[in-house]
Amino acid sequence: MTALKGLKVADFSWVGAGPRATKDLSDNGATVVKVESRKRLDLGRLSPPFANGDSKNPDASVFFCQVNTSKLSVTINLSDPEGQAVARRLCDWADVVVENFSPGYMARIGLDYATLSADRPELIMLSVSVAGRSGPMAGYRGYGNIAAAQSGHSALTGWPGGDPHLPPFAYGDVTAPLFASVGVMAALEHRDRTGLGCHLDVSQIESMVQVIPELLAKDDVVRMGNRDAVMAPHGAFPTEGPDRWIAIALEDPALWPALCEELGAPTLAMDTRFVTAEARKANENALEAEIAALTAGFERFALAEALRARGIAAAPVADGRDLCEARDLIDGGHFVAPEHPVIGPAKMPALAMRLHDTPWHMGPAPILGQHNDQVYYDILGMGRAEVESLIGKGALA
Amino acid sequence: MSLLSHIKVVELSDGLTDMGGRMLAEMGAEVAVVLPGDIRTDRARAYHHGKTVITGEPEDLRTLIAGADVLLDGRRRAQGDPEDYIALNPGLVHVVAWASMPGTPSCGAPTTDLTLMAQSGLMTIIGDPDRPPLKLPGEQAYALTGIQAATSAMLGLRARRQTGRGQRIDLSARQAATQANYREAISYEWTGRIGHRPGNQLIRGKSGVTLVYPCADGHVTWSMVDNPGMMRAIVAVMVEEGVAGELAEIDWANILVADTDQQVIRRWEGIVAAFFLSHTKAELEAWSVERGWGLSPIFDPAEVRDSAQLKARGLFVDVETPEGTRRYPGPLFTTSLPEDPPARWASDAIPARDFAWSRT
Repeated sequence: MTALKGLKVADFSWVGAGPRATKDLSDNGATVVKVESRKRLDLGRLSPPFANGDSKNPDASVFFCQVNTSKLSVTINLSDPEGQAVARRLCDWADVVVENFSPGYMARIGLDYATLSADRPELIMLSVSVAGRSGPMAGYRGYGNIAAAQSGHSALTGWPGGDPHLPPFAYGDVTAPLFASVGVMAALEHRDRTGLGCHLDVSQIESMVQVIPELLAKDDVVRMGNRDAVMAPHGAFPTEGPDRWIAIALEDPALWPALCEELGAPTLAMDTRFVTAEARKANENALEAEIAALTAGFERFALAEALRARGIAAAPVADGRDLCEARDLIDGGHFVAPEHPVIGPAKMPALAMRLHDTPWHMGPAPILGQHNDQVYYDILGMGRAEVESLIGKGALA
Repeated sequence: MSLLSHIKVVELSDGLTDMGGRMLAEMGAEVAVVLPGDIRTDRARAYHHGKTVITGEPEDLRTLIAGADVLLDGRRRAQGDPEDYIALNPGLVHVVAWASMPGTPSCGAPTTDLTLMAQSGLMTIIGDPDRPPLKLPGEQAYALTGIQAATSAMLGLRARRQTGRGQRIDLSARQAATQANYREAISYEWTGRIGHRPGNQLIRGKSGVTLVYPCADGHVTWSMVDNPGMMRAIVAVMVEEGVAGELAEIDWANILVADTDQQVIRRWEGIVAAFFLSHTKAELEAWSVERGWGLSPIFDPAEVRDSAQLKARGLFVDVETPEGTRRYPGPLFTTSLPEDPPARWASDAIPARDFAWSRT
C-alpha cells in the first residue's frame, strides 16, 4: 500500500518544475502518465549528464531519469488535432491534470481548466510557471534566473558590499514543485469533502518569496554572506586541502570556550573582543580572521566530528563526490538505484521522508513511449485499428 | 484558500517544521504551535502568523495531540525516539523532522541551517571562486525541510483516507536540503566532474558569460547567450541609441557565443554594460518586455513587495501583530476556488490549557 494508490494523473509537464512535482506523486503510488512526443522532445531528455555520453539518445539523460521516476510514458502529438483528442480522453480519465507550458498553450489545444472542468467539476488541474497565470507577467516566458531576480533572492545572496549573486542552479525549479505537490494533495483533501476540484496556479517567483518571508518584511536588509543576525562565528572557514572548508555555527554562546579549546587556542576565549556573544558580533571581521587562521590546519571531517562531540554545530562543506559518499545519505536511503533499460541501475535521489505504514516505492523513469500500449489500450480503451490509424497519421508520434 | 479547513495541527517547532506549519495554516488548517523561544521576533512572526502560539506542560500538549490530525514534531536537537503519540491517537499523522534520518551518523548531532546547507553540497557551487563557499539567503535548509514536512503531512492524510489510520513519518532535513542540489551528485557519478563556484557567470562550452550587470539605479540580470533573436533585439535598441559599436556588425544567426573566445565576449559585454549603466531598471525592463531581451531587474526587498505582478496576485498580506501591522507573503498559490483567506493575525502565546480546537 502506498499513500497515493489509485490516484490518476495526466502529466503534460516537461523539463524541471512540473516533472519534479509529479515525481512526488508517482513515487508514492499515483499512476502518472507522462505525455510526450518525438516531435517535441521534453528538454529534460536533452539535458546532461548522459549515459555513455550519448547525448543523441532521448533515453540516456540521467537528469531526465532523476525527475521522472515511477512514471509511465505515452507519446501523443499535441500539435495534431487527433492527438489533441486522444489527450482529451486522457484528461477525462485523470483525477489531476498537470502542465507547465507557456501560458495559453493548453487553451489553444482545448485542454485548459475551463474546458476540461466544464462537465467534470471534480477535476484538479495544476499549472506551474515562472510568474503565475494572472497579473501583468501572466504571459511571461522565462527561466530560473528571472525568479531569483524578482523574488529578492538574488539581491539578498552575496557578500556585504558586493554585487547581488545568481547561484548556478534554478532554485525556483526546486521550490515551485514542492509547493505544487503539497497543493495537489490539499486539493484532493478538499475534493474528498466537497466533491469539487480546482485549478492550482503555482508561481516560481512566489514560491521563492515564501521561503524568505522574514527578509522581505524589512527594507534595511543587506547581503550578509554567511553571517547570522545573532550567532557568531557563523560561516565557512578554510581547512587543509584545496577548496576544503568547514561550516561552523555557534548556536549556544556558552560553547565559545569549547570551540577555542578544540581549535587549539584556549586563550582566545578570554580575548575581550570575543568574550561575549555581543562582542563577537561587534568584532565579527576580526573573529572570522582568527577562526580561519586556526581551522586552516585541520582536516575538515576530523574537525567537524570533534566540534560536534563538544555540542557545536559543524559540518564539512560538501561537494558532489562527498554527497555520493556520505553515510548520512546512503544509510538514510537518499539514493535508490532502480534498473533503467538504457542507463542501468543508476543512483537517483529519493524522497526525504520515510512513511512507516505506506512506504513509497521508486521505479525507473520511462523510456520514450514505453507505455504506449498500456495507455492506449488499457487506460484509454482504444481499439487496435484506431491506434494504428492514428499512428499512421502521426497523431501518436 | 481553505483546502484544509477540517484539519487540526499541533506543531512542536525548532526551525525544521516552521515552514510546514505555516503552509498548512495558510491552506486553512488550525495550527497550534509550541515555540522554543520568543514569538516577538521578526523571524518568529514571519513563520508563525496564522497559528496559535501555545505554552504548557507535556500533559496539556498530550490533550491537544489526542484531538489533532497532524503532529509536526521538530527534533533538530533531539536524540532518541519521540513518544508514541499514535498509541494515544490512532488517527494521528505524526511527522518527525530530524537533522538526519534515524540510524545515521548525524541524527542527533548539533545541526543548524548553515551546517545543513554545507552538507547539501550547494554552498560549494554558490559564490565566487576566490572567496569562501556561500549560503543562500535566510534559512533555506529549514524552509525546504518545512515544506517537506507539509508534504509528509499531506501524504499521511491521503494514506489515512485509504487505511483509516494515522502513521509516523520520519523526515530527514539533510536529505531535504540535499534534494535541492539536483546536479552535483549525478554529475560526479556520471562524469567524475566536481562543480565549483563560478561567480556571477553562466558557463557554456568554452566560455562564460556574465549574469549580473549594474545599471543606473541598481542591477539587472541578462546574459549573452546563443539566442539570435534576443541578441538582435537588444542590439537594435543600442543602434537606435548610437552605442552598439562593433555589436551592430555581428551576424548573430551565424555565430556561437559558447564557442567564442573569452576575451572577445568580455569586450562585447563591456559595450552592453556601458549601455545598461546609462539606463534605469524600469527603462531596461520595459524594453525587455516590449522587445524580448530576456532581461530582468534585480529587485530589493521593497521592490519585491511593490512588484506589480505580486500585487496583482495578492501575494503580500497585512498581518496584525501586537507590535503593529506587518506585511508577509500570504497565499501559497492561487486557486479557482472562491477566496477564503485564513485569519491574518499573530498573537502572543497563550497557555495550552486555555486553547480548544475550534474545528470539529
